[in-house]
Amino acid sequence: MLEFDGLHKSFGDNRVLDGVGFTVAPGSMFGFCGSNGAGKTTTMRIAMGLVRPDAGRVSWQGRPLDDAVRRRIGYMPEERGLYPKMKVGEQVTYFARLHGLGAAAAARAAAEWIERLGLGERRGDAVEKLSLGNQQRVQLAAALVSRPEVLILDEPFSGLDPIGVDSLAEALLGQAREGVPVVFSSHQLDLVERLCDAVGILARGRMVATGTVEELRRREAGRLLRVVVPDAAPHWAASLTGVRVVSEQAGDTLLELDGGTDDQEVLSAALRTGRVTHFAWRQPTLVELFREAVTVSPQEVAA
Amino acid sequence: MSEPRDLSSSGLVRLVAAREISTRIRDRSFIISSVVIILLIVGSIAFQVVLSSGGEKVRVGVVGDRTALQPALVAQGKAVGVDVTVVGLADEAAARSAVEDGDVDGALVDGADPTPELVVQESADASLQAVVQGAVSELSLGEQLARAGISKLDVPQVAVTPLEPDAEQNGQRIAAAIIGVSLLYGLLILFGQFIAQGVVEEKSSRVVELLLATLRPWQLLAGKIIGLGVLGLAQIVLIVVIGVGGALAFDIVDVPGDVVGTAVSVVLWFVLGFAFYASIFAVAASLVSRQEDLGTVLMPTSLLLIASLVIGLQAAGNPGGALARVTSFVPGLSPMVMPVRQAAGHVAAWEVALSAVLMLVAVALVVRLGGRVYSAALLRTSGKTKLKDAFRAERV
Repeated sequence: MLEFDGLHKSFGDNRVLDGVGFTVAPGSMFGFCGSNGAGKTTTMRIAMGLVRPDAGRVSWQGRPLDDAVRRRIGYMPEERGLYPKMKVGEQVTYFARLHGLGAAAAARAAAEWIERLGLGERRGDAVEKLSLGNQQRVQLAAALVSRPEVLILDEPFSGLDPIGVDSLAEALLGQAREGVPVVFSSHQLDLVERLCDAVGILARGRMVATGTVEELRRREAGRLLRVVVPDAAPHWAASLTGVRVVSEQAGDTLLELDGGTDDQEVLSAALRTGRVTHFAWRQPTLVELFREAVTVSPQEVAA
Repeated sequence: MSEPRDLSSSGLVRLVAAREISTRIRDRSFIISSVVIILLIVGSIAFQVVLSSGGEKVRVGVVGDRTALQPALVAQGKAVGVDVTVVGLADEAAARSAVEDGDVDGALVDGADPTPELVVQESADASLQAVVQGAVSELSLGEQLARAGISKLDVPQVAVTPLEPDAEQNGQRIAAAIIGVSLLYGLLILFGQFIAQGVVEEKSSRVVELLLATLRPWQLLAGKIIGLGVLGLAQIVLIVVIGVGGALAFDIVDVPGDVVGTAVSVVLWFVLGFAFYASIFAVAASLVSRQEDLGTVLMPTSLLLIASLVIGLQAAGNPGGALARVTSFVPGLSPMVMPVRQAAGHVAAWEVALSAVLMLVAVALVVRLGGRVYSAALLRTSGKTKLKDAFRAERV
């Protein structure tokens, strides 16, 4: 398990992290979401030893991360960085060696990854001569070349075209299948929803939601029922007990049910009005969950 | 695929150093500067060779018997500082054609007769005439004296007492020291720039964050300094070997031992000077994130380096002076001043040792304090970091 436990961090008076904690199981993908400035990058930098936390720790397989463990982590920083004048092949080999591979093994692994990411012909070119998309691939190769046990990627999808997104997603899923826990941050929530086994939503330095997308859905909006009854008279549901009408528009009705209310009774009431063309618990998108989670509630403001 | 293993600090430092060397050795500005320096050295040796062989040379043809004339001509030449070569010629006709062909500068006909004749192309230059005249007069004088029955003339010899017997040797040693110190300055500036540019390149390209995820800042710093230091040392040794080797091979210096000694001390002072200046340059460079801002932060150190060169050159003129004495102990200045004092020979062993120890202490201090600044400033990749802030900042 990769565990982030009770991370606190302030820069001067600015409290950036206020008890961030979550767990990533081996072989699973963890999507890290949050608004700009929520503290995602700081969390990842703490894991990589680039920022020292005021409190809390990050551990892998029960062992707090130290230099030796971090050498087994593949990392992609938010601000991409490579030596601009160094050749692609040499650069990836160099990073492989910094991660502890021997000279021959590093050269082999670099050649393999460069080939796999479709950069075979550019191996001898300086990085600065490559397009941004290709530079991003080199960056990924640098993160993956040492066969890391853990992957921590800060906004790996930003700046990629759809094809690039697909091939990166494929590469990450491949890593996860091999048992590597993958943590990545992203603003592309549809992507997170599609790829990730678990999601963490960070707001104002706190984890406001963690779990599988399913769990979040159940927790956040599990009692929202959408019923479409084209023939019903307006306010058809107003008299039902334990039901609040959230919205109603030409028979397309969104209802919020109290805990004890039986959805089957709502269905019978709907059938009494005529045809029912849609009756389902509403699946909120991750975008809605995210909005819900990061919006400051009135109580919180008062506190 | 073999499994990754854990790396020791020295292994990481070696990796960084190896990258620095392999990158720099293929860098165009490095190659050009190396070639230029070596050409300069070779050129100045060639210049010296031409200059020292610039003494006048005269070829004199002698018709007939030259057993007596040849030694007399050579001896006369030596007396007036002309290198005389004597060529035997068969007869007057041969003499004339030799002069016309330019084989000889002049041909002496009937040298032993009472009416000797010097055949030249247009006019005899003064030294040729003086040599021939002197030789002929001497022989003739000897003959006349012998005929008069005087076989041995008692002429007093003038004894020469030099007031500064070592002056010329010292001059050569000091000249070697001046060349050495200038070389030292050039290489320190050059490699200091390389270090600074490398540090800023890592910051401006943001690769530093990726590096620091696997390296401690001090390992990165040490690797850079050692890598470029090895390269700089190789370069100065190469230059010194070419320079000293050339000077010895072409007999430009009279006292090879002293020049070699000076060369060795320059190389050793390069090591200390490089460790000091490279660390400062690296730390200063870590404060900025763009190559354009480099000039400003490197300025104070560059000025110190220039000042040390000026003082070093001044010390060459007055190696025993108070300024040279004091500055040869000041860390940062000493690498440029002490070699000059050592070359001039006015320095005790304990003075050199003390100066070196002071320099080592300074290097340790710079590495320690500078390392703090470096690690705090490296990840601040936007704009300029104030020295004060870097000191206060937390280090990871």
